[in-house]
Amino acid sequence: MQLKKKSPTPLRLGLMAASCALLGSPGAEAQSVPDGEQPLLIDTGLLYYKEDQGRVQTIEPVVRLKKDYGDEHVLGVTLTYDSLTGGSPNGAIPAKKVQTFATPSGTSLKPVSGVPQTYTTPSGQVVAALAKITLYSIQPGQLPLDPNFHDRRIAADVSWAQPIATNTNASIAGHLSNELDFDSAAVNGALSHDFNGKNTTVSAGLNAELDAVKPIGGAPVGGTDYTQLLKGGNKSKDVLGGLLGVTQVMSRHWVAQLNYSYDKSNGYLTDPYKIVSVVDGTGAETGYRFENRPGNRTRQSAYFGNKVYIAGNVLDVSYRRSKDDWGIQSNTIDGRLHIDLGNDIYLEPHARWYHQGAADFYHLYLNQADPLPTYLSADPRLADFKATTFGVKFGVGFSGNTELSLRVEQYQQKPTDTSSALAGLQGLDLNPGLKTIIVQLGWRYDY
Amino acid sequence: MAASFFAMASPCEVLLETRDLGLARAAGRAAADEAWRIEAKFSRYRRDSVVTAINGSGGTPVAVDAETGALLDFAKHCYQLSDGRFDVTSGVLRRCWRFDGSDRLPTATAIAAVMPFIGFDKITWNPPFVTVPTGMELDFGGIGKEYAVDRVLAAVTATSGGAVLVNFGGDLAANRPPADGPWRVGIERPGTDREAVLLLELERGALATSGDTHRFLLRDGVRYGHIMDVRTGWPVVDAPRSVTVAAGTCIEAGMLATFAMLNGAGAESFLDQQGTRYWCLRA
Repeated sequence: MQLKKKSPTPLRLGLMAASCALLGSPGAEAQSVPDGEQPLLIDTGLLYYKEDQGRVQTIEPVVRLKKDYGDEHVLGVTLTYDSLTGGSPNGAIPAKKVQTFATPSGTSLKPVSGVPQTYTTPSGQVVAALAKITLYSIQPGQLPLDPNFHDRRIAADVSWAQPIATNTNASIAGHLSNELDFDSAAVNGALSHDFNGKNTTVSAGLNAELDAVKPIGGAPVGGTDYTQLLKGGNKSKDVLGGLLGVTQVMSRHWVAQLNYSYDKSNGYLTDPYKIVSVVDGTGAETGYRFENRPGNRTRQSAYFGNKVYIAGNVLDVSYRRSKDDWGIQSNTIDGRLHIDLGNDIYLEPHARWYHQGAADFYHLYLNQADPLPTYLSADPRLADFKATTFGVKFGVGFSGNTELSLRVEQYQQKPTDTSSALAGLQGLDLNPGLKTIIVQLGWRYDY
Repeated sequence: MAASFFAMASPCEVLLETRDLGLARAAGRAAADEAWRIEAKFSRYRRDSVVTAINGSGGTPVAVDAETGALLDFAKHCYQLSDGRFDVTSGVLRRCWRFDGSDRLPTATAIAAVMPFIGFDKITWNPPFVTVPTGMELDFGGIGKEYAVDRVLAAVTATSGGAVLVNFGGDLAANRPPADGPWRVGIERPGTDREAVLLLELERGALATSGDTHRFLLRDGVRYGHIMDVRTGWPVVDAPRSVTVAAGTCIEAGMLATFAMLNGAGAESFLDQQGTRYWCLRA
């Protein structure tokens, strides 16, 4: 470090003068994707998931082990790690002016006690912090994304299956996962029975899940004014569910499956990081409210799946319909064709179509003149939208027990309700939807 | 409280000594507005910027507003003070120099081909008219971020009145210290790893850093950093990896850091003469 007091050089004086002249002059006025029996199977995958426009992206390694101890006694272990970064929509709509929000860590407007403490910014800089609150600003016309969003998830699944009587199998499984702000533990058990010469299988299962929700900065009090930052402590929720199913061999070339499932969630089902914009009669933003969802949700769904063998290839086509007491109804049609190209090479095109109706309490935004609803959310996942997935998987087998695969898919979500007639919101895309790219590398080894 | 946003390819932050959320929001908004305004107006990557209009004028005079004029005046003074070594028209050297970490040096012919398009003295600046000959380009990239830091500090000070620190990717300025002691800042030094963060205490004034980050060419063991000597068309020899300078304003600190880099092996002695606090890093 140099510190010398002497008279400034002509250059320094010239620079000071030029700087003063310059500065004295007038300026002009930031969804996941779902989806084997051998003595020991090692199945590893690396999934890359990226949403458009700088939104969430993740790289997810998965390791799956399956050990067959003979006589249909099978142990399965799956380990998953996720790291998510990118911008997550906070629920507010775009506006024609700059909008400013606090990141979820905003808990208190009191300064941190004592001298200014330092904190490290996303760019790695250490800067002074006066209070535990960080704001971010969104440019006009842009969907408000929290640029500071990041999460990582570690999950472990263990399952055991074995016969318990002639033609009757039982399985039990456990799941544990940890995220920065969420812990989940679940168990499920299932029984299946084959009859009719193993042409028919009926199955029944039960599952229970217990979650601890530990929002960063605390769980907001649902429905309250966002600027008040009214936040409480940690929350919890539980899910209880059951499944009944029948699988029928229809012909040598066709297997069909029919499932019905029912589950009920209780507890804190609100997304602690989502807010809802409030606008006046002209569409101008007047504030925001924390979202608030009912404390329970009952969901039923029916699934009809088919596997059809056609000239050496397998067509897998399914239909799912589900509805819940939040008013969300959805229909899914999913098809994939496994084309055997010979020499242990296959190609698998995949297409999926999905439509859901909005939750009863979904609002793109709230109108200030209207009474504040008890339940409210602007979460794009609760909106009325259509979604399509198109992709292809390519696999190559080696020496009879190793398979390498590559899957590439594109997912696109198109919301139905994206605009407003209010003058202040005209021309704005209030719910721009989502496009994602999914690339998955797989390596599978059967001992 | 801290307000953050992204501008000029940098993470930008404004730290405020206040407990009033409304005030912080207003200040954060004022800061982002001003930074985005400057970026939109002076970026040569924006089709609708003043700089793009001037560069695309085909050698005809363009009338500019007072702020653009003040920046041109400043650029002219810096050109003179540096004996022609700091030149806002030097950007065209990018046409032959690509600092991609490779060993591909341009040919002498390629360099000779762009040299006629460099030289602030070839620009006619008769306020409010500026005439940039065809083929030449103005680039305020070497000034813009520091200028924006000073402008944003002024804008936020006017809004909030409390102690304010503005930090655009390591170029920063503060109006005064918070009640409980100086600002403590960490500066990442280009060319080094994360651990080499420079931790400083700052009461008021500004810090700016000039460095070659990851932008260099390496040939026969010689490292060519991206700080160009416009008199030869070649990178300055023996420049430090990074220079951080303290001064009253960010624009002044930035220019001192750049001038020091332009002095190559003489960077330290140049800064000693200027009587300012500085931190030089050599490989």
